[in-house]
Amino acid sequence: MVRLQLDPFLNELTSMFEHTTEKGSVWVTLKHSSDKSKVQRNKITTAGKELEYKCLVRATDGKKNISTLVGTKDHQRFQASYATILKARMTSLKKREKKDKRKAANVVDKKLSKTTKAMNVDKKQQVPVKRSSTANP
Amino acid sequence: MVYVISWDDFVERSVQLFRTSPQKTRYVMKYRHSDGKLVLKVTDDKECLKFKTDQAQDAKKMEKLNNIFFTLMARGPETDITEVTGKEQTEQPAKRGRGRKQ
Repeated sequence: MVRLQLDPFLNELTSMFEHTTEKGSVWVTLKHSSDKSKVQRNKITTAGKELEYKCLVRATDGKKNISTLVGTKDHQRFQASYATILKARMTSLKKREKKDKRKAANVVDKKLSKTTKAMNVDKKQQVPVKRSSTANP
Repeated sequence: MVYVISWDDFVERSVQLFRTSPQKTRYVMKYRHSDGKLVLKVTDDKECLKFKTDQAQDAKKMEKLNNIFFTLMARGPETDITEVTGKEQTEQPAKRGRGRKQ
């Protein structure tokens, strides 16, 4: 298990997604952890001090293992970068089928509304002509 | 494996599971580009919740869940998430307040 800093971890994660395009999976695990052994944790709690918790993020492509710790201050930035990577990489998921049906229905509705709008435009052209004739005298 | 059908149900139960055992709960995501499948798992090694999908819209929902888990795990299980967007909203009025004082 390779422990990396935040940015190298994100770079490695991106390359993992690139390598598994044809074959293979990417696993990402999130866990709430203090990154200390049980003995260390007991020592700290008995001393009356508070344990500092972070978010442990692990990633693997089945062959290589990488991990990183995200602290309280970094989590917003990491979250944003992580979301960007996922959005860019998860492209093989299907688009909504129901939406396509709705789009087809909308296209039909739009065609109908266009014909009604054309009729309304003709009426509007007639109205200003009438107004100008009353304003003159 | 327990596959949950409803997304909202999955989110609610997984957050609850995390709050019950923050030390043991982990959130796993598996993505296969070749099959176009995404599987999410939340477990505390006693109870297991899974959600699988092949829909792009679920990837967007998963992003929100990721935000929730990052916030909970980085800050602590007692953090008030109010769906994370609620947090952003509470920050904005404070800034507006400073503007008015000026």
